[in-house]
Amino acid sequence: MKKTWILAWNTVRESFRKKTTYIIILFALIMIAASEFFAFLSAQEQTKMIMDTSFAVIEFFGFLLAMFGSITAVSSEIEKRTIYTLLTKPITRTNFILGKYLGMFFILLINFVIMTIFFLLLIHFKKIPINIAIFKTLFLIFMELLVIASISLALATFTSDAFNIIASCFLYIIGHLTSYGRQVIEMTKNIVIKGLADMMYTILPNYQNFSIRDKVVVGIPVPWQYVLIVTGYGIMYIVIALLIGIYFFRTREI
Amino acid sequence: MKQKIWPILLIAILLFIPLGFIQNQINYETVADNLQTNLVLMPGEAGDMVLAGFKGIAADLLWINVENYWHRGEHFKMIPLFYMVTLLQPHWILAWSLGGWHMAYNVPAGVKNIQGKYYWYQQGIQFLKKGVSYNSSRYDLYFETGWTYYNKGEDYSNAVKYLKQAVIYPGPDYVKDVLAHAYEKDGHINQAIKEWKKLLHTDFKGVAKRMIYDLNTRGWATP
Repeated sequence: MKKTWILAWNTVRESFRKKTTYIIILFALIMIAASEFFAFLSAQEQTKMIMDTSFAVIEFFGFLLAMFGSITAVSSEIEKRTIYTLLTKPITRTNFILGKYLGMFFILLINFVIMTIFFLLLIHFKKIPINIAIFKTLFLIFMELLVIASISLALATFTSDAFNIIASCFLYIIGHLTSYGRQVIEMTKNIVIKGLADMMYTILPNYQNFSIRDKVVVGIPVPWQYVLIVTGYGIMYIVIALLIGIYFFRTREI
Repeated sequence: MKQKIWPILLIAILLFIPLGFIQNQINYETVADNLQTNLVLMPGEAGDMVLAGFKGIAADLLWINVENYWHRGEHFKMIPLFYMVTLLQPHWILAWSLGGWHMAYNVPAGVKNIQGKYYWYQQGIQFLKKGVSYNSSRYDLYFETGWTYYNKGEDYSNAVKYLKQAVIYPGPDYVKDVLAHAYEKDGHINQAIKEWKKLLHTDFKGVAKRMIYDLNTRGWATP
């Protein structure tokens, strides 16, 4: 376990040594602050737009960080050949993947806390009431980012960086459309196609599950039970992605 | 000795089974809690946003155009945007109420003939009713529809019908106030008095007392 923690800590340090992390956070903060541009709208409209923009920025920049962070966490070790030194030490490949993921968890958490504090300060100064629904939304965005990081990390163990970026972006878009796909599946008559589509529906990550921001900004209450089940879904998906990552990394010739 | 690693992959694959069950539970909760979203595809930048899961931002971008057209007095150009915004976010009350208000009040103001004015008033009502169908467990759009019937159309029986629905759900006291007026205008004096009595313990106390007195003595209260 100690080895995993050391690897995690190194991943965090390495990430903050690179300027990209700072740039992503800075851009995100600028974008959240840019919601000030909506000052010409009425208070009610402004509230909605500030919330919409901030949630979207936190998610999108978090996605970029989760994807690029996870990809480089593995590939930079291979490129710089530091992986050879690491694996000759008593560090298993499982330790390596778990350590990298734990590192990504902390990177995302730090980034997320910074953005959240900034966002909460902004809405506090705008005299927008801070309620529990905002925290539910932020929590589920964070869960989504953790899932994205686990998938990108799993892909990084057996694909090239370029392919991983394309696949992660593709999955991000598809992941937001799978719930619509469900509506199409339900209309399908052919059992074989229906079965295949159902299988794809289960295998592909359903990011729409985590997306409650569109509901929260218009005042639709989201029960804790929903948040809890979606959290369970997220954890389960992370476990699956990491197991796949561990499997492929252990079969990889290094 | 080389360790077997295929069980790791097998466990990962098998875990998709409980994951499927969790997803089914989420689907059930989504319907039960009114959190489902319908597929909306549209051209342009708004469409790109929708594809990436940012429906709220897409609706906001369109809404900024609504604001621009409004300030330029180009009311007709706002109408398709109201439909698009409400298609993207059917639970955004403001989009329905403002859209209905523009159609029933502002657009007819720019139309010369009576038929045209009536047509747009009807369009506003229809728009609000559509909004009600999406937001049937909130007072807001029942009230807006009732108010438009009452104030713009002077159609008091329909106003009563919608305002009666509005008071079922938690909302401000002025909803009951308008309902009481609508009852009176529709000829239901006893119902109006009953409604005013409900307002005797609210901020409308003064008005309610006066209205009850006038209705009891003169038989009418609203000018």
